[in-house]
Amino acid sequence: MTWKTKSTAAPDSTTILRGLVSNKRVALGSQVYNRILETLYDEAAALDERRIDDWIAMIAEDIIYQAPIRLTRTGPNRDRDVMRTMFHFDEDYGSLLMRTGRLQKSAWAEDPPSRCRRFITNVRIAECETPGEYEVVSYLYLERSRGDSPENENTTAERRDVWREVDGGYKLARREIIVDQSVLGMSNFAVFL
Amino acid sequence: MHYRENAEMLQKSKLVLGDGTSLDDLIMRESNEVSLRVMTDEELYHLEMDKIFAKTWLLLGHESEIPEPGDFIVRDMAEDNVIVARSQDGEVNVSLNVCPHRGMRVCLGEAGNKRIHQCIYHGWAFRPNGDFIGAPVEREKMHGNDVDKKTLGLKKAKVHLYGGLIFATWNVDGPSFDEYLGDIKYYMDQLFCRTDNGLELLGPPQRFTLPCNWKVPGEQSGSDGFHTLTLHRSLMEGGVMGGTAESIYDQAPGMYGVDVSCKQGHSLRCLEAEKTFKMFADVPFEGKSTRERLELLTPPGITKEMIPELFRNLSEDQVNQLATIPPQVGGMFPNILIAFIFAPRTDGGSSGALALHTYVPKGPGKVEFVNYIFAEKDAPEQMKRDMLQNSVQQTGTSGTIEQDDADVWPVIMKNARGAVSKGITLKYQALHGHERPEGWVGEGLLYPGFTKDDTQWNWWLAYYDLMDAV
Repeated sequence: MTWKTKSTAAPDSTTILRGLVSNKRVALGSQVYNRILETLYDEAAALDERRIDDWIAMIAEDIIYQAPIRLTRTGPNRDRDVMRTMFHFDEDYGSLLMRTGRLQKSAWAEDPPSRCRRFITNVRIAECETPGEYEVVSYLYLERSRGDSPENENTTAERRDVWREVDGGYKLARREIIVDQSVLGMSNFAVFL
Repeated sequence: MHYRENAEMLQKSKLVLGDGTSLDDLIMRESNEVSLRVMTDEELYHLEMDKIFAKTWLLLGHESEIPEPGDFIVRDMAEDNVIVARSQDGEVNVSLNVCPHRGMRVCLGEAGNKRIHQCIYHGWAFRPNGDFIGAPVEREKMHGNDVDKKTLGLKKAKVHLYGGLIFATWNVDGPSFDEYLGDIKYYMDQLFCRTDNGLELLGPPQRFTLPCNWKVPGEQSGSDGFHTLTLHRSLMEGGVMGGTAESIYDQAPGMYGVDVSCKQGHSLRCLEAEKTFKMFADVPFEGKSTRERLELLTPPGITKEMIPELFRNLSEDQVNQLATIPPQVGGMFPNILIAFIFAPRTDGGSSGALALHTYVPKGPGKVEFVNYIFAEKDAPEQMKRDMLQNSVQQTGTSGTIEQDDADVWPVIMKNARGAVSKGITLKYQALHGHERPEGWVGEGLLYPGFTKDDTQWNWWLAYYDLMDAV
């Protein structure tokens, strides 16, 4: 599963939101489904508990980690609202290491850190063409508490992942985060989604 | 000498708020201070909307977003929503996205292509240039019995394209765009008007909101260089900028250069790459000609193949500056930040990052941060790809530089609400004073050496001028 990045701002480069591509579904409750679900929960816990090294250990070195922007469209183009030419995140392994390395030093945006809860639901899984790789679509609901503010910031997104079986576990090889807001209500994405 | 140093010449402003506070109590021109109250005051905010945002030129996007006739984008001039559309004649038009019939938004999408914009409420219809076409059931004259259709168009703003950037103003009889830019144009041209085919926006802008007044990021866009050392300390710790984590304040990378400004409030920080970024520290520039320097290190966003384009589009003096001490960061009054930076990458590349932000007011306590990311149209695809990544990783929503800014601004805003805190003043008293460096060619107010408060103070003086105007 790959997606091409076009360099243009013209709105005809928008694409539709789609969930699973493969039709080789991994049944809910099957062993693979359960183990991948467990991995998603472990990943959320690693991020919520700010065990960043544990999170990085779950990432494949060829990762593509992107969050395209979302547009408001109307009429015949109403469903073409995912703009894969511009991103809130546009990362590879090196840049994720740069970001996580920064968190150990003077990253004031996360010092003091946010208190986050990542709720992962609606998990659907299918087999990719490459054996041992799985498309995993999930919903993310993020609640983020900052400083002494009694009002949490929050956001919702669909995550379209590829998880790869490595040494009896799973590593994240692709993540596309499709946010629901065209204008983010969160003041930054200093946390991973 | 500061351009308005002589305090005795200062006339008192006639602008007085409901509680008797005058503009001079808020912007203290004799002591170079600004009351923190300006960040929260509702009355002041509404005056700003009329006196600044309905008057001055505002950035709305780039013409590469709307290449074909009928293409449109919807943007905001402060809280006034507008349609930016290319009409059949190829012109770019900006019209208020408010139906003159019952006040509904005419265009509900953010971008697309339409020959006719029809309001979904009662069906009044408009062309991309804002002209009224008609209302449904023409025989019943639902647009009015004796009303001339020519008077029923969407309200039109005056448009100016600068290097493909779309600017608009409601002040149809006001200053021209060149008058608005003033002496800074010579330097801005080096960023926006330097190549044959100009800039290309790489995608629709990132948009996010911050709980703070527009002036909190606004005054920083007046070329606040000093905050980089402390707030953006991670640039030094990560080895991007010169120095080491231990020597940040001793070496003060990126602090020494020439800040340029003008009385319209715009400014740019011109910086020598070798004194700013670690990876360029050992480039042998000594004794090299302009062309040789450009070959050794092209300005951000420019390839070696594009160097002849620089000479075609700019004067020799402008190219010389671009090769030695290029403008890197700055802003245009009232709400534009410019970051055309070298942006060294962790993989050793340095194709640069070209980004513009607008800080769009959305109420006294809310601002929308709109991040436009560019590359030169003539740049190779891989370079555009790298530059997009650089900009996304360093600026805007998740950018490792600007995450930290987004964390500071709302806290300043919270402080400004306190009964005592709002009387605290912002201090712009570390001033250098205008001084022309030897051999400097461009005009404007010039501040060589360590970056100080001069350019930001000029930003506030420009603010004062517009607020004071009758």
